[in-house]
Amino acid sequence: MSAGRPANPATAVTGVAVRQVRRGGLLVVGLCAGLPALVAATYTRVMADPAAAGSIGRLAANPAIRTLFGEPVALDRAGGFTVWRVGTFIAVLLAAWAILATTRITRGEEDAGRWALLLAGRVTLRATVARHLAAVMIVPVAAGAAVTSVLLLSGTEPAGAVVHGAGLGVLGLFFVAAAGLAAQVFPARATATGTAVAVLGAGLLARMVGDGLTELGWLRWLTPFGLLALSEPYGRNRVLPLLLLLAAAAVVTGAALAAAGRRDAGGGLVAGPAGRRPRLSSLTSVEAFAARRLLRPLTGWALGVGAYYLLIGFTTRSVTGFLADNPALAGQAARAGFAGLDAVEGFAATLFALLAVPVGGFVAVRLSAFVAAENSRHLTLLTAQPISRLRLLAAELAATVGGALALVTVAGVAVWAGLAATGGRLGLPAALAGAWNTLPIVLLSLGAAVLATGWAPRAAALAGSLPATGGFLLLVIAESAGAPRWVRQLSPFAHLAPVPLTAVAWAATLIMTTLAVALVAAGAAGYRRRDLQG
Amino acid sequence: MSSAALRTVNLGKRYGRVVAVDDLCLEVAAGEVFGFLGPNGAGKSTTIRMLLGQARPTAGRAWVFDTDAADVARAHRRLAYVPADVALWPQLTGAEILHLQASTGPGIDPSYRAELVERFALDPSKPARTYSSGNRQKVALVAAFATRAPLLVLDEPTSGLDPLMEREFRAAVAQARERGQTVFLSSHQLAEVEAVCDRVAILRAGRLAEIAAIDQLRGLHRTEVTVSYTGAPPSGLDTVPGVDSVEQVGAGRLRFSLIGAPAPALRALAAAEVTALAVREASLEEIFLDYYGTPESR
Repeated sequence: MSAGRPANPATAVTGVAVRQVRRGGLLVVGLCAGLPALVAATYTRVMADPAAAGSIGRLAANPAIRTLFGEPVALDRAGGFTVWRVGTFIAVLLAAWAILATTRITRGEEDAGRWALLLAGRVTLRATVARHLAAVMIVPVAAGAAVTSVLLLSGTEPAGAVVHGAGLGVLGLFFVAAAGLAAQVFPARATATGTAVAVLGAGLLARMVGDGLTELGWLRWLTPFGLLALSEPYGRNRVLPLLLLLAAAAVVTGAALAAAGRRDAGGGLVAGPAGRRPRLSSLTSVEAFAARRLLRPLTGWALGVGAYYLLIGFTTRSVTGFLADNPALAGQAARAGFAGLDAVEGFAATLFALLAVPVGGFVAVRLSAFVAAENSRHLTLLTAQPISRLRLLAAELAATVGGALALVTVAGVAVWAGLAATGGRLGLPAALAGAWNTLPIVLLSLGAAVLATGWAPRAAALAGSLPATGGFLLLVIAESAGAPRWVRQLSPFAHLAPVPLTAVAWAATLIMTTLAVALVAAGAAGYRRRDLQG
Repeated sequence: MSSAALRTVNLGKRYGRVVAVDDLCLEVAAGEVFGFLGPNGAGKSTTIRMLLGQARPTAGRAWVFDTDAADVARAHRRLAYVPADVALWPQLTGAEILHLQASTGPGIDPSYRAELVERFALDPSKPARTYSSGNRQKVALVAAFATRAPLLVLDEPTSGLDPLMEREFRAAVAQARERGQTVFLSSHQLAEVEAVCDRVAILRAGRLAEIAAIDQLRGLHRTEVTVSYTGAPPSGLDTVPGVDSVEQVGAGRLRFSLIGAPAPALRALAAAEVTALAVREASLEEIFLDYYGTPESR
């Protein structure tokens, strides 16, 4: 290129898009590659028991196991075991990141008015959308390639490694496309994200139902996660489901681009209401307003968490009964990190511990939304009112803690209701105790997020997800890799008693809660003093 | 204790090595309409953010009616604010935002607010995401003017308004003044500042360049005088102190600029047969350009 020639404007747009996803993208690719590497490396240790192979057929036959963990395929091989153990987790992680990144850099940037300048240039709206989608799509492709490479390096069969890596990559592409379409249809980022996340949730649920109930097995052909399972990496290594998923991703991408070509910049295919009657009852104070802003996202989170834990409630009796009848399998599950699964209380306790991950994520997302409102200057008018900074923050925290409490309670009630419906025996108080037992980790997430809000606002989401998501990953990795005890102890999950199997570990609960309160206090002190952004 | 609505003493703000505001001493008396001028990046918005407690000063202090500006819960009971670039909660309608501001603010006059909504031709039923920047500004202006707060802090409040709305804005400022409210108006619209303000402060590169009543400010600057005469032209004007750039603009017409008191120039003119005398005072814009327009003044 000669020095005087202007750079290609379309390339510049791609550059803008890539810059916005590269950091998160690298993290996601690293996680997608790291987890299978760890699990595959520890496979021989976990499966050292020669009796293990024999019991695998029975495990696969249990509908509840299939519902919760996916259909086990080729568990007798390192590759198959790895796919069963972390495949779904990685697929959900990749899909969730794809959705959030896509709506953030497309509709989010447009909402914030930053596309106005971009679109005044020579690049059309349609081309801008296409280039942004392409930039996000690099990440699932890279993640799929990384998974395949890692599985090949671990010495698993090439065909399975390629099918699994390709499946994850194509699944990621589908969700980029779906979020891209939602961002063209709806004129607001929150609605677009919510719609795409709903597609993710429904797809996951449909796969679970399809896996669990043989007569509804065809459902799996209709969902991205089902198609991923149907490809059966390390088993039949089927390519057809992946081609279908790829075709679906292509169709949805085409629809997104067609929609982008038909709509106005700043608008959506669906126009928002031009006017409506004011709803004033919840606008009487900052506290009430914080609760009002929380209500809609909380409903979405509660639906997702509630549906998952209801499903767990439905399947608990079947799984525990099955494991109680097969002690060898229960022992094997214990070695794989799921202890006490042969009792209803133990099974419920294991799955309640997981609850801290989504609820901790909820807390982190809420605090980062608070910081985003400050950055986008939506909060400016309120900060000019006679309301102290501490009260503004306290209102947000009260709403967030209330929301977290509601989510945890929904999960407890859902497990109890699911169990009760299938004739299981677990009292509501025991179910609620198991759910509430995770609150200290949720509070730690809140504390970390508030600390960041006060001192390093840009890091609020990351800091908030460290105690729950980070702690959970740390524990899983430490256990898989046989790390020293003190490494495991760094994870708050290592200090959580398996309630309702045992009593609450009050000392640990108190220490974690105190630490959380100290973090909140330190964060509030920073927030009170610092300059507001925006 | 003073009766100033706003007061800053040695107020300063640095961002690392960049000095945004330096050693600013201001006093805005209660009841006055005060203009706050300066080119982009002079530190006007940073000063306002410090006055509102949104940014912490790195030096000096600021008071709102003798309350430390950092104590926002108390200080903001006596002020209302319109930001430079109004961002509203996109999901709320105009009416909802006005209600939220009213119920969290220092108290409003509902009938005056209804009148303002009417005068500014605002449709409050629309969600804020559909508002143009001018309409967002109207929402903030209506919310601020409807309060009975004794101090209104307005940061470039009319940059998105059309001339009709600009007229309503000036009327609203005049009514606020009649009610005894103090108005602190940061603006680029020099004609507007000239029309509504009693005093102005001019900020340059974070420092106070000038603070004076508008009339006084004019006195400090050049006045353009055009003289028509018959017979011999007035002589000796060139040597009169304060007179500059004398030029013949036509047959029997002479123009010169004047700084300071006009008496010596009038005495020099008395000798000639002057048929008409036109005196044009410098506009604020010319004064402003005098401060910033020439390279050596920057």
